Amino acid sequence: MTSFQWIAFAVLGVSFVITLTLTVRRRIAPRVGFAWGMLWIAAAVAIARPELTATIARALGIGRGTDLVLYVAILAMVFGFFAVYVRMRRIESDLTKIVRELAIRNADEE
Amino acid sequence: MIWVVVPAYNEGRVLGGVVEELVARGHRVVVVDDGSTDDTPAAARRAGAVVLRHAVNRGQGAALQTGIAYALRRGAEHIVTFDSDGQHAAEDVDALVAPLRAGRADVVLGSRFIGTPSVKHSEGMPGGRKAILALAVVFTRVASGARVTDTHNGLRAFTRAAAAKLDIRLDRMAHASEILDQIVRHGLRFEEVPVHVRYTEYSRRKGQSSFAALRILADYVVGRWMR
Repeated sequence: MTSFQWIAFAVLGVSFVITLTLTVRRRIAPRVGFAWGMLWIAAAVAIARPELTATIARALGIGRGTDLVLYVAILAMVFGFFAVYVRMRRIESDLTKIVRELAIRNADEE
Repeated sequence: MIWVVVPAYNEGRVLGGVVEELVARGHRVVVVDDGSTDDTPAAARRAGAVVLRHAVNRGQGAALQTGIAYALRRGAEHIVTFDSDGQHAAEDVDALVAPLRAGRADVVLGSRFIGTPSVKHSEGMPGGRKAILALAVVFTRVASGARVTDTHNGLRAFTRAAAAKLDIRLDRMAHASEILDQIVRHGLRFEEVPVHVRYTEYSRRKGQSSFAALRILADYVVGRWMR
C-alpha cells in the first residue's frame, strides 16, 4: 500500500466515524448521514482499487479512471452549489415574509 | 379612499417633500422604510405618513408588497405606488386613478413615453437610459405579452381587487416585470397614462445605474423559472 493510500484511509476513516456518530445522535438526518457515509466508502474503494474506476471509465468511453472521478466530482459540486442556491433563495423569501409581518404588526397606531 | 404606497431606502433628504405634496392633496400615505440608516422614517412621519419599518433591507419589490398588504388592511379602495426620490409628481395621482374610478381599468400604469409632446415627459432622461428602457419594452412584450410603452415606471394605480391579486415575490428590482406578468396572468384590464418623471441630479445619483439592468434581467429570469 502506498503512503498516499494510508493517509487517505485515515482521513476517510475519521470522516466516516464522525458521520456515523452524528447520525446515531440524530444531529443530522439519517438520509443525509447515509449519503455522506456512502460517499466516504465510495472514495475508499476508488483509492484501494484504482483499476476499478479505470474499468468503469473505459466502459463509459472515458479514457482514465482519474478523469471519471474528476467528472463525477465536478457534477457533484455543481449540483451542490445549485442546492445551496435554491435553499438560499427560499430562506431569503422567508426572511422577507418575517420582515413584512413585523413591519405591519408594528405599524404606527393611528 | 386612495392610499399611496411609497417604498423608501435612505431618502430622508427628499422624502419629506414628496410625502407633503401627497398629503396636501388629501391622499393617505404609507411609507415603507426599507431598513434605512438615515432619518427616512422621521422625515416621513413629520410629513404626515404612516411609517412601516423593514427591520433589514429587503429591496423595493419587498417594500411595495408590504405597503400594499398594509393599505389593503386599512381598507384602501385604490392603491397607488409612488417613488420616494422625488421623480414623480403628486398631481399625476388623480389622473392615474381616474380610469379606475370610471371602471375602465383594474390597473393604470404611468408612462414616460406616451401623450402629446407637451405632456410627454422624459425631461433630462439620459440617452443611454432611453435605449435600455426601449429594450425592456421589447423584452416584456416577448416575456409576458404585456403591450406597454414603459415597463419600469414606479407610478402605478390598482383597484382594491387588483391589488389583492398581486403577490410580488421578487424582492429586488425585477418586481416591475413581475407585476406586469401578474397583470397579464390574472387577466386584469390595464391602461397607460402619461406621467411626468423628473430627472434631477439627485435622482440620477440615487437611481439604478444602467448596468443594473443586467442584474435585474437575471433576477427576473431565475425568478420566473424557479416559481
